[in-house]
Amino acid sequence: MKLDILFQLPVALALLASMPVAAEHTSNWAVLVSTSRFWFNYRHLANVLSLYRTVKRLGIPDSQIILMLPDDMACNPRNAFPGTVYSNADRAVDLYGDNIEVDYRGYEVTVENFIRLLTDRVGEEMPRSKRLLTDDRSNILVYMTGHGGNEFLKFQDAEEISAFDLADAFEQMWEKKRYHEILFMIDTCQANTMYSKFYSPNIIATGSSEIDQSSYSHHADNDVGVAVIDRYTYYNLDFLETHVREPSSKKTLGDLFDSYDEAKIHSHPGIRWDLFPGGEQGGRDRLLMDFFGNVQNVEVNSVVNDTEWKEDLLALGKKIAELRERAEADEAAERNVSTAEPLLKNHSSQRIRAAKVEIDGKWWEKKAIGAWTLAGCSLVWLAATYMES
Amino acid sequence: MASLLSSGVLLRRNPHILKLPPYLSFLCVLIGVAWLLVLPLDNYSRNTYISENALLPGQVHTYFAGSDQNVFRGYKREIDALEDKPNIEVNDKLEEILKASGLKVARQSYEYKSAGQTYTGENIYAILHAPRGDATEAIVLVAAWKNMEGKLNRSGIPLILTLARYFKRWSLWSKDIIFLVTADSTAGPQAWVDAYHDTHQSPAIDSLPLKSGALQGAIVIDYPFDHRFHSLHIAYDGINGQLPNLDLLNTVVSIASGQMGIGVSLQQMWQHSDSYQDRLQTMLRGMMNQGLGHASGPHSSFIPYHVDAITLQPFGDGWQDEMAMGRVIESTFRSLNNLLEHLHQSFFFYLLMQANRFVSIGTYLPSAMLVAVNFTIMAIFLWVKSGYPQSTNSKTPSTVEAEEKTSQLNSSQKGNAKVITAEESSAVRERELLLPLAVVAGSQFLGVLPLYIFNHTPQNMLTPVFVSFAVANNALPYILSRTLTHLFNPTTQQYQLIKSFSLLLLGLFLSSLATLNFSLAFLVGLLATPLTYIYPTSSTSALSYVLKAVLALVLSVIAPTAVLVAASWSWGLSIEKVLTQAAYGWDVWGMNTQVVVWCVWWPAWIVGGVLLFGRPREETTKLNERGQESKAVI
Repeated sequence: MKLDILFQLPVALALLASMPVAAEHTSNWAVLVSTSRFWFNYRHLANVLSLYRTVKRLGIPDSQIILMLPDDMACNPRNAFPGTVYSNADRAVDLYGDNIEVDYRGYEVTVENFIRLLTDRVGEEMPRSKRLLTDDRSNILVYMTGHGGNEFLKFQDAEEISAFDLADAFEQMWEKKRYHEILFMIDTCQANTMYSKFYSPNIIATGSSEIDQSSYSHHADNDVGVAVIDRYTYYNLDFLETHVREPSSKKTLGDLFDSYDEAKIHSHPGIRWDLFPGGEQGGRDRLLMDFFGNVQNVEVNSVVNDTEWKEDLLALGKKIAELRERAEADEAAERNVSTAEPLLKNHSSQRIRAAKVEIDGKWWEKKAIGAWTLAGCSLVWLAATYMES
Repeated sequence: MASLLSSGVLLRRNPHILKLPPYLSFLCVLIGVAWLLVLPLDNYSRNTYISENALLPGQVHTYFAGSDQNVFRGYKREIDALEDKPNIEVNDKLEEILKASGLKVARQSYEYKSAGQTYTGENIYAILHAPRGDATEAIVLVAAWKNMEGKLNRSGIPLILTLARYFKRWSLWSKDIIFLVTADSTAGPQAWVDAYHDTHQSPAIDSLPLKSGALQGAIVIDYPFDHRFHSLHIAYDGINGQLPNLDLLNTVVSIASGQMGIGVSLQQMWQHSDSYQDRLQTMLRGMMNQGLGHASGPHSSFIPYHVDAITLQPFGDGWQDEMAMGRVIESTFRSLNNLLEHLHQSFFFYLLMQANRFVSIGTYLPSAMLVAVNFTIMAIFLWVKSGYPQSTNSKTPSTVEAEEKTSQLNSSQKGNAKVITAEESSAVRERELLLPLAVVAGSQFLGVLPLYIFNHTPQNMLTPVFVSFAVANNALPYILSRTLTHLFNPTTQQYQLIKSFSLLLLGLFLSSLATLNFSLAFLVGLLATPLTYIYPTSSTSALSYVLKAVLALVLSVIAPTAVLVAASWSWGLSIEKVLTQAAYGWDVWGMNTQVVVWCVWWPAWIVGGVLLFGRPREETTKLNERGQESKAVI
């Protein structure tokens, strides 16, 4: 056993050595949740779909986005523009479009499913597209929107998730090494209460409004007949669209949070840094692309000197040889130890031999039983044909 | 607990407490009326607001304009040509027009009989199936061929036809839309909505050949002129004082005044200056309409089926044209289209004092309840009093108390002082219940008589029947009272019990009615209040005769028949008209105001009259014995 670990070690080391030091995560995921049904909550769906488009634009593939939509606004009979969802009255971009993958829809969007998704407590039958296949090197963007109140967020029409449920789910994710860092964003009334109970490390949280504050919609489309986007989401998107134009953007979370203007948002957005290593300063310096885009750091390291790389490889080879020697030495030592206790060793070897014999014996036995059975069957058959005739 | 009980017993023994209930009941009436009068003040009424999130009133652009106006004019010419044509011929034309718009059309004929008259007609309706919706729900747009005043719905009919054609072009309906043109404003809608819910009386009323889903709301257009209008009048009262959900009214008000800039008025208050008087007047008119429980428009028939409905009546001379009216309806329908479930969020019980000001049931209900409680208090008081040991002849309550007190004193002096006093005062006199119960039950059942008479007399006979009934009605209490005295010679206790039971029933009926039809309970309660204070007396002094005469006058003024005459005089209607209308309401709408008048109010009034002319028998034998006894002790 020990031997195996030792043999794996160089491989692991090689992996570690090949990893760039700057990016500590190796994958980006996004969980985008709208929690409300009904036509008049069109804007919540539009919020989520706008964010879905943004993270897709910045490089997170559909396979790494979990999109939860509880209602189908595009096909609602009340929609004056069938098959579309817009988040702006200018109706320039159809958010529903042709390339949208909804992972959880309709009544699948429940508190239970959401928590099962986060903690990966799902059955074997659950398709990979509906699972959050993250590890301890994954950065996750969690965005939620809907109708909420003090320390709860309503799901659909009959249930709600509490701030405690959410905090415990994140803690379980941390214990199961399911994330590296999380950026939690929420746009709902009294949104900041939703992240107030978090206690797991490496989470940055932000919300649209304080306790006892409502979050407001930004504007309505008078042909669709409903409000199409919420203020907080609108101004987040506004920043992401005007300042984070390509995946190589160096804008930081600090830049995004500094862009929040209470006069425009009409509520007091909150930010929580204390769970993040490095606190506020550490969090502020994180790139937006660490959460909204996919890992792009591979090119950066390819600049490294060619000879250096070869030297590294040589050193690694030497290390492997050295480790192998050490492993052999360990094995020899182990053999010495085992001779000191011959009884135990003999016993085990005997047992192996005995087992073999046993298997052999059983083999014959089985043959015999098989032969007898066949003979019996043919006898019965013969007897039957004789009697019939 | 023990101390509480003993204090209760003490209270019961306290002669001052016994004097309290009449004053208390009078105070209840006073507070009840005052309560109603303060409602229009800012502190007691509230601004209306939309409770249902789904409605989103006025959030959509309306596109009913432009070429649709030409369509409207075309239809209008067609309708003008049909003005004096018979119902069937009109419907033939309407069917042609609606079918040309691509709608399914069906017709329903009906026949009602009431007060010897026959009311017939034929409704026509078209269903627009929601292009992308399921056919489980529907909203109704109604225009009656003739409005409540019998005028041709000159612009309303072309407007509903134009809107049918226009709505057909949209694909965003989540509910079916039914366009209904009824032959008249009262019987037609009732026949249609009854048949829609399969509660109609076949074969007088046809079943509907075509149906859609559950009705979610109905809007009626009553636009009987062809010039531009100034503002919108909304009629919202349903049958029996039921009201549509306040959200529906708020939606239309907010669309008309907020989105379209059209003023809204209620209860025929063409001018409203937001003053206390105007608010009070609006509220009282609303209460009167609610109390009468009649239909105020074609929408009224829908409300008993829990279909929220209102009638929109443009009025005045201004610069709003029929297209503006059409846009109000378009926007309202877009809002109703947004509904996810039946209107339920807002109030069903309210009093409006302005288009955007109301009081809800919790605020106004105590006033009617207090008026009803006044009867109950007196009933309980009389029950308690009737159980008190009888002393001498009771002239006034105060003398009774005084004399009872002396008799107690006497007996306590007689022997083991305390014990005897306790026994004497807590002893309950046996109540003779049979006669009082029979009298009260009899008068209650007597109420069926006028109810039957007035709902089954032919129209031309109504006035003579009413006059003879009114005359008989005035003499009836006296005759009944005389008969009662002659046959049974009731005691004071029996009179007290008659009154107690009668008031108890009245209080019971009115307090339960207050939750259903607040206004009717309040009005009847107020008119019956004097009945609380009528006592029989056997005194033969001149003063008591004068008092009796005055009370008799009061009693005949507050008689249901007299109130009916006064009301029809003040409305400028003939008695015949009012009674025909009432019978029509009973036969067609299922209006139950008459039941309250003849079976709740009238019996209580009859009993009041019986009491006024009553002569309590002097309970001589017992009295003499006790009188001698006390004299002996003294």
